[in-house]
Amino acid sequence: MTALSGQKYVIERGLATAVFLAIRLEKPLLIEGEPGCGKTEIAKALAAATNAELIRLQCYEGLDASASLYEWDYPRQLLEIRLHERDRTTAEVETEIYSERFLLKRPLLRALQGEGPARPVLLIDELDRADEEFEGLLLEVLSEFQVTVPEIGTIRATRIPLVILTSNRTRELGDAIKRRCLYAYIGYPTAEKEVEILRRRLPELPEQFAREIAHFVQRLRGQEDLAKRPGVAETLDWASALLALGEGTLRSATVTETLGLLLKDARDLETYRKERLDLLLAAP
Amino acid sequence: MTAPPRFPAGQRILERVQGFLDRLREERVRIGLAAGVDLGRALAAVPALDREAFREACRVTLAKSPADLDTIDRVFEEYWSAWGPLPVPPPSEEGKVPRGTERRGPGGAIPPRARPPREELLRETIEGRYSPRAPAMGHPLFPVPAVVLRRYRAGARRFRRSVATLPGRHWRRSPSGPIDLRRTARRGLRTGGEWVELSRRERAPRRADLVVLWDVSGSMREHTSQMFALVHALHRVIRRSRVFAFGHDIEEVSALFQGQPYLRALPELAARLSGAGGGTQIAYCVGEFRRHWGAILRPTTTVVIASDGWDLGDPAGLARELERLRREARRVVWVNPYAADQGFVPATAALKTALPFLDLLTSPRDFPRAHGSRRPSAPLPAAG
Repeated sequence: MTALSGQKYVIERGLATAVFLAIRLEKPLLIEGEPGCGKTEIAKALAAATNAELIRLQCYEGLDASASLYEWDYPRQLLEIRLHERDRTTAEVETEIYSERFLLKRPLLRALQGEGPARPVLLIDELDRADEEFEGLLLEVLSEFQVTVPEIGTIRATRIPLVILTSNRTRELGDAIKRRCLYAYIGYPTAEKEVEILRRRLPELPEQFAREIAHFVQRLRGQEDLAKRPGVAETLDWASALLALGEGTLRSATVTETLGLLLKDARDLETYRKERLDLLLAAP
Repeated sequence: MTAPPRFPAGQRILERVQGFLDRLREERVRIGLAAGVDLGRALAAVPALDREAFREACRVTLAKSPADLDTIDRVFEEYWSAWGPLPVPPPSEEGKVPRGTERRGPGGAIPPRARPPREELLRETIEGRYSPRAPAMGHPLFPVPAVVLRRYRAGARRFRRSVATLPGRHWRRSPSGPIDLRRTARRGLRTGGEWVELSRRERAPRRADLVVLWDVSGSMREHTSQMFALVHALHRVIRRSRVFAFGHDIEEVSALFQGQPYLRALPELAARLSGAGGGTQIAYCVGEFRRHWGAILRPTTTVVIASDGWDLGDPAGLARELERLRREARRVVWVNPYAADQGFVPATAALKTALPFLDLLTSPRDFPRAHGSRRPSAPLPAAG
């Protein structure tokens, strides 16, 4: 907890225990939660705190082995074939071109062969955006920490990386992947925690103003009919914007102008700008 | 500092932990052998007499969803605060919630709605007036014949084809389309680096993702078996599908369908719906769905609302919610059990309100037929 606090990351005991157990048991940690509440940040903070390399794999639909594990360097292989077509036999050339020298290592393989003073941190971000087939691909990597390349054989991890997987729960992840992971959930923070985050990330923000901002965001988040609720990332952006505008307290005019940093849905923005903003600002 | 757990003399800690796991399994938390082993390893890594550390170790190793976290917290308090498994208290009339019907959202469990006094319930029932708290009568579920089930599945497959229309990010081989340089180069290796044959590729159509909002209120009771067969078929053939049951409240029931054969899912669902069957609040439930699970909606998602539209809630509220739903999803399809009846007109207030936001109004009986697969952009019946 102390190491992460040094990286300006405010962590609760539950999440700290999850991270501790992930390190101690050498198991991947699956973190689910609301968008913008610090799932990705924890991996960055961990890497910085342990002076480890952060290897990030951003998931998207259509992500496959060639973009996540490895790919053969076809142009170089072709060149090698051409160079040695006269002085070597076919078998020799084939052995040569299917060696690690011609392997383009993608994030998962790089994490298994990580170099450096500390265990690398592998961040598999927004796994719910990837296809279910990709989850299948991850199974061997996450349970055995090895990758099988048919032409070469099995490549095992030199050091087991610390793996953090994140998901926004846009779809339910498969049981197989969940079974291989420890689990933690990050929800919206309490007002007190949000004030602490603001103070930690924006030290130049006066405490009273941080409280005003946090309580306003909490009231906004509590509105039943919001299409998209603001996360901590939005609060930080908004507070930075208010600081940049030289504000020291919440004024109706400035809040109206900057509300787009908190509300990312056009209908929400319209409703709150026109009708409810003053009520929210006036609330105790 | 919290009080350390005390154990009865002679009772081994592993047996107590095993009892805890069994208790969680009774509460439908899916705990495999591997999770149990993880818990054992975790308990060796944290201070054994620190109750909070113990609790966190259980949460981290045993939970696989936010709902699991809530259950673990509740059972932990119950189990580890007593010498043995606590006797189950008899359910009281006040605040009684049938097992498995608690609403669970991504943010955690939401307290159940308090049950109104018996006199009020009786008056509402006798007078037949609308109430979101109408008494729950449950849903009798009977298996439909195998031949009907097969027809539903065929219809669901046609439906899947008709909703998966966007080109996805995956590529597939194709006789026409742009040249696939990677594959061409790889095939060239067989012929000494010469590109004898060009490989081509095209974008594979994106798989459909589906959300089913299934009305399990009292007015749908006589259609529940038919609807269940249809929803099961849709969930079975469309891999990316989530199912939510709603009445006066909404909860996700996808887990009951996941990988379950029809006949095995049937009794599970019947048990789950034993407390359902009261009034309907479509607007409220669609709103709750968007609020708790809205993130699953994508521009490619088809939302199927399976309901008879009997809802005396505020039509303006329903219009507002459906308009938002329509904006966030690709298509909204309404499956009404009466839509295939002779002379049917969408006359209920909810249906009339919903019509402008629908891409298709259809009936379960349309699915097994050929025209059940008509494109969702097909013209809608005129409002009555």
